[in-house]
Amino acid sequence: MPIRTIVRLTPAKPKAGEEVRLQAVAQHPNEPGTRRDERGNLIPANYINLVEVYFEGEKVAEARPGPSTSANPLYGFKFKAEKPGTFTVKLKDTSGDTGEGTVKLELA
Amino acid sequence: MNRRAFLRTTGAALSALALAGLPVKAQSLEGEDLANLEKALKETLGKGFKDLTPSNLVKLTMPAIAESGANVPAEVEVNLPAGQVKAIHLFADKNPTPRLVSFMPMKAMPYYATRVRLAETSAIRAVVETTDGKLLLASASTRVTVGGCG
Repeated sequence: MPIRTIVRLTPAKPKAGEEVRLQAVAQHPNEPGTRRDERGNLIPANYINLVEVYFEGEKVAEARPGPSTSANPLYGFKFKAEKPGTFTVKLKDTSGDTGEGTVKLELA
Repeated sequence: MNRRAFLRTTGAALSALALAGLPVKAQSLEGEDLANLEKALKETLGKGFKDLTPSNLVKLTMPAIAESGANVPAEVEVNLPAGQVKAIHLFADKNPTPRLVSFMPMKAMPYYATRVRLAETSAIRAVVETTDGKLLLASASTRVTVGGCG
């Protein structure tokens, strides 16, 4: 099942040279593997361990989160807005599921 | 030798001893669960993990009190030009897996925000690897009412 991913930019239309914040939110339980269900059985670990950000097909940032990330995690990055284009955020979890979200950068 | 001179010389000798003895064990880290943290630091940073320099260029923002450890916002910003930061790592001393995240800002600015799980009240460390091989450290502490890992 693909991971639902939402990506947004603040400010939505930055000026050239301005800082822009990119935030990605994923719908994912991010089980750390230490939690137990109501019967006391360990819930197996399943968490997002790779976050990659691409701009116009070029990789611009990478994060490798560990198991201690909250459920439905948020990932925030900052970039310098230089030229218009498309940001793509790609996620991968430990079970091999992937997710992808895109957002267009338009300059004011 | 009178009493005053004796005190002066032994005092100087003792303080020199204390200064020489400290860096071996205490270095820049202080806290309770250091064995747990140091294992994770070693895994992530390799051999030179003890060479941490506390730096005010690294700004780590954590809430002072978190009601639930399952969802704690964490934000780290480095006051260095974008090209000089190789990686940013976050650690929580008392988590079962202390390493929270490693971030490689390739073309991004040295800034990372996320939400983390904290098992219990703990010190949080941000370790910044610069391109010239230095390790910069910033610490924060968050009180957790209900843990997020159990």
